[in-house]
Amino acid sequence: MLQQPLLEIKELKTHFNTERGRVTAVDGISFHLEEGEILGVVGESGCGKSVTSQSILRLFDEKYTVKYDGEILLNGLDLLKLPMSKMQKLRGNDVSMIFQDPLSSLNPVYTIGYQIAESVMLHQKLSKKAAYERAVEMLRLTGIPAPEKRVNDYPHQLSGGMRQRVMIAMALACKPKLLIADEPTTALDVTIQAQILDLIIGLNKEFGMSVIFITHDLGVVAEVCTRVVVMYLGQVVEEADVEELFARPYHPYTKGLMKSIPQMDGDRSQNLHVIEGTMPSLHDMPKGCRFASRCPYADEQCKEQAPKLETLQSMHKVRCWHYEKIVEMEELTYADASR
Amino acid sequence: MKAFILKRVLALLPILFIVSIVVFLVIHLTPGDPATVMLGDTATEEQVKALREQLGLNNPIHEQYVHWISGVFQGDFGYSYFMKQPVMDTIISHLGPTVSLAILAEIMAILIGIPLGIIAATRRGSATDQSLMGVALLGISVPSFLLGLFLVLVFAVQLRWLPVGGYEPLSEGLLLHLKYLIMPAIALGSMQIALTARMTRSSLLEVLNTNFIKAARSKGVKERHVIYRHALRNAFLPILTVLGQTFGVLITGAAVVETIFNIPGIGQLIINSVGRRDYSVIQGVVLFVTFTYVFINLVIDLLYGVIDPRVRLDQK
Repeated sequence: MLQQPLLEIKELKTHFNTERGRVTAVDGISFHLEEGEILGVVGESGCGKSVTSQSILRLFDEKYTVKYDGEILLNGLDLLKLPMSKMQKLRGNDVSMIFQDPLSSLNPVYTIGYQIAESVMLHQKLSKKAAYERAVEMLRLTGIPAPEKRVNDYPHQLSGGMRQRVMIAMALACKPKLLIADEPTTALDVTIQAQILDLIIGLNKEFGMSVIFITHDLGVVAEVCTRVVVMYLGQVVEEADVEELFARPYHPYTKGLMKSIPQMDGDRSQNLHVIEGTMPSLHDMPKGCRFASRCPYADEQCKEQAPKLETLQSMHKVRCWHYEKIVEMEELTYADASR
Repeated sequence: MKAFILKRVLALLPILFIVSIVVFLVIHLTPGDPATVMLGDTATEEQVKALREQLGLNNPIHEQYVHWISGVFQGDFGYSYFMKQPVMDTIISHLGPTVSLAILAEIMAILIGIPLGIIAATRRGSATDQSLMGVALLGISVPSFLLGLFLVLVFAVQLRWLPVGGYEPLSEGLLLHLKYLIMPAIALGSMQIALTARMTRSSLLEVLNTNFIKAARSKGVKERHVIYRHALRNAFLPILTVLGQTFGVLITGAAVVETIFNIPGIGQLIINSVGRRDYSVIQGVVLFVTFTYVFINLVIDLLYGVIDPRVRLDQK
């Protein structure tokens, strides 16, 4: 890799102080993001994907609840070492974020125009008038009809899909280099979901804006992302290009996720595949492989020793002791079945 | 908007009507005779009888009520034979001290309670937060008469900085006015300050946990603006409710403090009137207080709309 990546996360750990003691919600995450790339971060609820994304912007309360370790390099600048005032200048200007729930992510007592214009006035020192003009422009860009009128609306006067567009307009108002989208379509219905995804892909192509796309929906990942990071219990368990991952998933957890996607043309008499068991609590972290208790291939070694993230050919990374063996076994059963 | 206010004012009428009946009955059915009180121990039975006749107290009770309430509808709240003046004049002359006291206490609740609540909320869990909330708990628990007496002991008796009691109207100069009112206002307002601080803290903490605050931070809004611009305005509805309700309490519930500091306000008026069985004054004051309560609530409801667009009435 000759060029410096836009974002590089090295061994990020996010610790929370809770009443029951300190938990490490993100435990040694490393990944990078090239300019213009859409990176998917996938995992089930509670795997630490949202914590990772909010750690990039340092949105947690560092005085009392959170401690970060590791490095988050944005163009080589370590965000974790920046003073808060510098961090505030960077938020919304260089790195923006869209949240999961557009219904609760807009301030109910201010007009959407004000909320979009706010960051423009803040970061680009535009006049109020120019900032509102930018807000109208952003609303038009995100496909809101009659933006000149809508700009004076309050959030409660808009539908869910429109509010998510407003969130996107707000996040993009300063043309950031990096957009972090934390499950931006989860709260929306399917048709709106497709529109929002198209919008994000379009903006990525048009402005070369890099995107970290956080989701639990592998279908969305296949549609949107170029590369995928799979997370489980605060760790990266697999990382690969999107085609590679869907063609050859190595980690048993990724395989499980893939099998859990409902198929339109699947056999309806068969139940949908589920990954047995539940994620262990952060207070009660297993000693060995974190997926061992739910893994059909787990043995003594898995329970005792934690595997490392290994880099295979073609930049495919996987954290599993037995991935080679499992692939062989599956090829055998596949061969058996086809014989 | 106008329709809303009109509706609220009309809704006031049945409330006042019910209150008037209850007050009237309670007063007239309690033992005790104003004629006897007025004439004193030395009066003969004939004198008492004559006075009762003169005051209309021998008529059936429903006739007395109709007589009174029809006067009220014409703006005549009756005549106080003890004060030797119309009831309305009596109320107005006692209103000044009470309103001054209530406003001063309310200002303290706003200027002290809200900032303390903000400080506690933004330093949640710290020693500052815990000690502030401890003091607030004390403020709620200590009764106003105890605090009042304590203040008198320290600042009037020992230090001799402030007068023990009494009242000087605003027309005598602001400084003198405040000199007499500051101790009663603290005694009366300590609970409102504490309540306001606690409500501000909890309401602000709730708002600070919402997604839109996180979103505001993610836009790069400075922490100060996150608190004052984004969070506080959202947190203000419950604070406003507390302020409004406590203002009603301040107007009506100052009786104890007014008695301790010998302030000729509404509270003292009603206590004295009950002692004298001055029927017309008691009825007038209770009606007036009811009206004040409902009126303040109406103002609060209208203020909600100013703060929160979701409850605005004149929406397209």
